[in-house]
Amino acid sequence: MEELLSVKYDVVSGDFIRGGEASSNLKKLLNQLGVRSDIVKRICVACYEAEMNIVIHSVGGYIEAKIYNDKIEITAYDYGPGIPNIELAMQEGYSTASDVAREMGFGGGMGLPNIKRSSDEFYIKSEVGKFTEIKIIIYFN
Amino acid sequence: MKQLFHSVALISEKCIGCTKCMMNCPVEAIRVKGGKAVIYNEKCIDCGECIKVCPYGAHISIKNSLDDIQRYKKKIAIPSVTLYSQFGKNVEPDVINEGLLKLGFDEVFDITFSCDIASETLKKDLERVEKPAISTLCPTVVRLVETEYPSLVGHLVKMLTPIEISALIIREKYKEMGYKNEDVGIFFLTPCPSWVTKISEISKNENIRINGAIPISDIYPKLLKHIKGRADDKNSFISRTGLMWAYSGGQCEAIGIENSISVDGIKNVIKVLNDVENGRLDDIDYIEAMACPNGCLGGLLLVENPYNAERITKNLNSKIDFTYKIHDFSDIESKLVSDEESSEHRDTQKISTNFESAVKMIKSMNKIINMLPGTDCGLCGSPSCKAFAEDVAKGLASLKDCKFLNEGGFNNEG
Ligand SMILES: Nc1ncnc2c1ncn2[C@@H]1O[C@H](COP(=O)(O)OP(=O)(O)OP(=O)(O)O)[C@@H](O)[C@H]1O
Ligand code: SF4
Ligand SMILES: [Mg+2]
Repeated sequence: MEELLSVKYDVVSGDFIRGGEASSNLKKLLNQLGVRSDIVKRICVACYEAEMNIVIHSVGGYIEAKIYNDKIEITAYDYGPGIPNIELAMQEGYSTASDVAREMGFGGGMGLPNIKRSSDEFYIKSEVGKFTEIKIIIYFN
Repeated sequence: MKQLFHSVALISEKCIGCTKCMMNCPVEAIRVKGGKAVIYNEKCIDCGECIKVCPYGAHISIKNSLDDIQRYKKKIAIPSVTLYSQFGKNVEPDVINEGLLKLGFDEVFDITFSCDIASETLKKDLERVEKPAISTLCPTVVRLVETEYPSLVGHLVKMLTPIEISALIIREKYKEMGYKNEDVGIFFLTPCPSWVTKISEISKNENIRINGAIPISDIYPKLLKHIKGRADDKNSFISRTGLMWAYSGGQCEAIGIENSISVDGIKNVIKVLNDVENGRLDDIDYIEAMACPNGCLGGLLLVENPYNAERITKNLNSKIDFTYKIHDFSDIESKLVSDEESSEHRDTQKISTNFESAVKMIKSMNKIINMLPGTDCGLCGSPSCKAFAEDVAKGLASLKDCKFLNEGGFNNEG
């Protein structure tokens, strides 16, 4: 089935000031659509963590959200450096965040596990030196 | 939609359509139509920013006056705790309360007692709501959460505010003394328009009915006459921890919640709520969020500047070592947690009741946004190009209103 609506937001590496805009724009959109608020909250958390991972760990990328009748599918894609060991990265508490990011309260190693916990379906792919792609699906009811 | 009354209103004749209020409204609740500002009631959170920024005095706050208390046999004042910081540091609260009696009140209720009760219920509340708990003392913050952050409604604490607790105690007391409810007039001396609105909402419940709100700035000159030259060296009977509720951070200080955030100023509150929604603050216990700079001491209807007022409050506090020891409030406790679903999901952002038509509207909105310059000039009467696109999609504005689209751009190249 084709999506009803899709939006795409660019995410810039290292931009902590604007980091979070994609998820707040998406939140606004979902509220306008009248999506149930507890579901908006889960989408918000997942999208924000994925967005901040692009800001903190990658050279830049984008977030794309496709909205269907009954679900949202979010793709967070960046152009590298990729994750060498995905299993390790998925562990709670594992983090390679820089000191700067840690000072801003990131780097708890909770982002990826939180994304997985917030979503109904979760897929992650990565190739070192090329890309990281996270795809999640959250159903509306 | 339940709540339609707002204390913030517009005097149309004074408005020249300058767009200042529209551009400063933190929730984009104002438009300019036909050269006059219009407040969208369902979006307004009564923060009073428009009253602050309007150079022509066109935005006002609806309020009560001292004349209104005459309608009641028993006239009771509940002063906001902020009142005691408005007359300099050598004026004792007792002197101020005596002044209020001279203005015609029969009783001045000690709100610091209710603050101490609220502190106790708040402690329990922290366990009862989603983490981080969000304070409900400021009605503007509550409305902001309900309208813009519906997913955070479950974080709002359920306690009654000190103002409601006071009204509850007064109503019970006078009922026991044999008064009819309608003969007892309770008036809140308010620091802000936000509480004027809140009082009109809670007055529907006769057990905590408050009959009106009188701005502190309005009674200030009259009160000053009774206070001038009256120094008092004996300390007032008032609670130190209760007084702390006046300034930003004071609730946490009074209760001793350490793992908390105290945020003041509506724009800062918005930033913090965004972080709560993104899940960044899940490990924090309590967020004391107040719409005004330095909490209620920054209320629009006060006289003293909020920072000197804090100094005065703290100075007063340093001389008092009394607090109400609230061990047993079980008799009123059951009534303290707001019973009716007072906080509700207002869904004011939802653009259509039907999912599919909402999708259509958003699509047309996105098309319109792409045609607009993105300069947010405000000449169309909407606060931003995005808001304008939404207004057009909703049928509240017409594409013809955009100067950029219709006059060949701002430079008149065409
Ligand atoms: N987009 C990405 N590109 C490259 N590496 C990534 C990316 N996302 C995550 N990682 C790696 O996976 C680790 C774990 O990510 P996760 O989001 O769980 O924690 P974090 O970002 O380090 O800390 P937190 O999310 O709690 O602030 C990161 O430290 C990083 O090494
Ligand atoms: S912070 Fe206090 S004074 Fe300001 S709007 Fe809220 S309740 Fe009123
Ligand atoms: Mg992360």
